[in-house]
Amino acid sequence: MSANDPAVDAIVAEALEGLDDERTARRNALKALFLKECRRFGKVWMQTVFSPLVTTSLYFLVFGVALGSRLREVDGVPYIDFVVPGLVMLAIISNSFLNASSSLFQSKINGTIVDLLVAPIGAREMLMAYLGASLLRGLIVGSLVYLVAGLFSGFAMAHPGWVLFFACGVSLSFGCLGLISALWAEKFDHLSIVPNFVLTPLTFLGGVFYSVDMLPAPWDFISRLNPILYMVNGLRHGLLGVTDVPVLHAAVFVGALLLVLLTIAGALLGRGWKLRS
Amino acid sequence: MSPPEPSPTPALRCTNVVKRFGDFTAVDDVSLEVRPGEIFALLGPNGAGKTTLIGCITGLSRATSGTIEVYGFDVRKDFRITRRLVGLVPQEINFDPFLSPYQSLLVQQGLMGREPEPARAEALLETFSLSGHRDAYSRHLSGGMKRRLLVAKALVHHPKLLFLDEPTAGVDVELRKELWDEVRRLRDEGTTIVLTTHYLEEAEELADRIGVLREGELLVVEDRDTMMARGGGEMRLEDIFVQLVRAGAKDAAE
Repeated sequence: MSANDPAVDAIVAEALEGLDDERTARRNALKALFLKECRRFGKVWMQTVFSPLVTTSLYFLVFGVALGSRLREVDGVPYIDFVVPGLVMLAIISNSFLNASSSLFQSKINGTIVDLLVAPIGAREMLMAYLGASLLRGLIVGSLVYLVAGLFSGFAMAHPGWVLFFACGVSLSFGCLGLISALWAEKFDHLSIVPNFVLTPLTFLGGVFYSVDMLPAPWDFISRLNPILYMVNGLRHGLLGVTDVPVLHAAVFVGALLLVLLTIAGALLGRGWKLRS
Repeated sequence: MSPPEPSPTPALRCTNVVKRFGDFTAVDDVSLEVRPGEIFALLGPNGAGKTTLIGCITGLSRATSGTIEVYGFDVRKDFRITRRLVGLVPQEINFDPFLSPYQSLLVQQGLMGREPEPARAEALLETFSLSGHRDAYSRHLSGGMKRRLLVAKALVHHPKLLFLDEPTAGVDVELRKELWDEVRRLRDEGTTIVLTTHYLEEAEELADRIGVLREGELLVVEDRDTMMARGGGEMRLEDIFVQLVRAGAKDAAE
């Protein structure tokens, strides 16, 4: 590109010196934002990694170890094994959501969002960086929960491919939802609406601690309308080889949800919704 | 140093820029050119639209209508180029509580599309007397240090058009003088500077040309000497500015 003015072309060339091409600039920006986001949750690992690990491990100890020994098998597997996939998914969902939502919202509140808005960084790079960090945190905490649970129940891994698909698909979906929430939120109260009034109820009613086949009508049907049910059962199929819903239904549902949320989050970031006045 | 001559391609060209927030017009049909290598002071009372106009240029806001070009490139269509040419020191102090000053500079270099240049970051810390706090948490810096860090961040990618939005608000006299020296040095190196300030002696001291905004309208753009001549050599810029703004208000009322 040129301003068609030799003097100005020289100034522009000097300013852009050191950048091979636009692709390099995009890659540098993406890398910088991704590493900044990772550094953010890494610096407060007690809060972002260790704390959710303790909370989820307590669920496992109470529902899996203490109560599980008194319960019969569910779907042909011991109850202590049955709850593990749900707890791993719970950790992935909440940590992926919280990483994206709290980071972007804090940038809005403390004003550092200015650094991003004046940078030559597009919506795609912003989306990839935020979601990459969310995915990393979700997978780290999810893996740690799986490892702790494995010490008690064994390390089951029936279909590694499905485990990877559902862990990543769900993590990215809730990273998108976290970004959308942070864009919309104008105060901390707004930010807590989704985790407190949507995610927690849906997760607890999403088959983490029970099989949907154990419920009487019409609750079994109503439970099948809960999107979390498909995510938990998808991972349960991956880890244990058992599921309440056909795994392909769950996969299509997670894939479609990710596509929709990616489109919405990308469009909102592209428009600078509630970021650029 | 005499003001630079008009260039066929200005560093900044705003053409009929309008920015509305609902029924409120914050920037009202502003057309303005800033010449390469000059220090341009954009003055106006609170709420005149200075920060909003700067926001439209730098990417914080989107103009409702009109066009804005930086060195001939459209700020919306060619944003990946214009934002690499522009630096902004925002009015409000902000800092990332998770980063040290050194890390902040490296991150900002990356966000601006560059490979991290540790030497550049170190040099800026030295220039702005922050080397002693290189690895401290930014939240532990004093107000003046945070302000200096903002300036350093804005310079980290070698911008050719630098916006200083009230850079000396709330800083002590010594730091203000240091920043003035730095602004002059940057201008001498070829950086074009647009400055907003409520300290009119700052504009009087530094600016090559001065523009006055009132209620979103650009009332006047003049060389500093021409504007000072309005006071017959006996008035300070502050008094001339008040006269201009009051006259603008009277014209608007009539």
